[in-house]
Amino acid sequence: MLIMWRRAGESLLVGDGIEIEVLEAKSHRVKLGIVAPASVAIVRKEARITREENLAAALSADQGMIETLLRRLPGAVPAADSAVTSSKS
Amino acid sequence: MHLLKVTPMLRIPTKFFGDRECDVDSIYTFPAGVPGFEDQHSFCFLTMPGSEPLLFMQSTSTQNLCFVMLPILVVDPDYKVALAGEELAMLELPPGRTPQIGRDILCAALVCSGAGAQPTVNLMAPIVVNLKTKTGIQMIHGESGYSHRHPLRLEEELVAC
Repeated sequence: MLIMWRRAGESLLVGDGIEIEVLEAKSHRVKLGIVAPASVAIVRKEARITREENLAAALSADQGMIETLLRRLPGAVPAADSAVTSSKS
Repeated sequence: MHLLKVTPMLRIPTKFFGDRECDVDSIYTFPAGVPGFEDQHSFCFLTMPGSEPLLFMQSTSTQNLCFVMLPILVVDPDYKVALAGEELAMLELPPGRTPQIGRDILCAALVCSGAGAQPTVNLMAPIVVNLKTKTGIQMIHGESGYSHRHPLRLEEELVAC
């Protein structure tokens, strides 16, 4: 990993078209300004992680998962005749 | 005085429970969707008798989209919800006051189970909804120290010998 020190007002260049400027630096957070071509997606890392987790959560939500949780989650209702299979029409 | 409140019901096709008659009060609007599902703005929150404490977040427009969730305090009784100013605004909550789980807001973690792996919950980015205005967001707090893959503690399977 490349590491460098920057002060507020200083910036760095990534490749040809990307500039990242430190606008403000506080004790616990920094404010960045980013100039990049429209084709470059810029997202906060935790937003990308959340997106991937959400997609995996939606995909993995199935009857098997629900039954496992109800059987093995402490405090869950024993799935003797799990209402998961019942439905009101 | 006793007022008889007639709550409108909506019939929603669900992923796990067939067609359900859902109380409109159980339907929450997510103006920004959730990451990965930005076009999904309306979810019905379902609990099923016999399935406590699981909570199901069923899309009202896409039958095959239903998240399985656990109330955050079931996973971690000490969980701290720290909503930033803009998140309070998105949830239509007053600034400067910490909303109470159960009274003002519902806070739940999405469950994910990889292939054969232990199920995990995303404590870094819980679903938070305003119980009064029925507005919801996914609160993404990368700096909170909570894991996006918090392992769920499960009891050992009882194997019949």
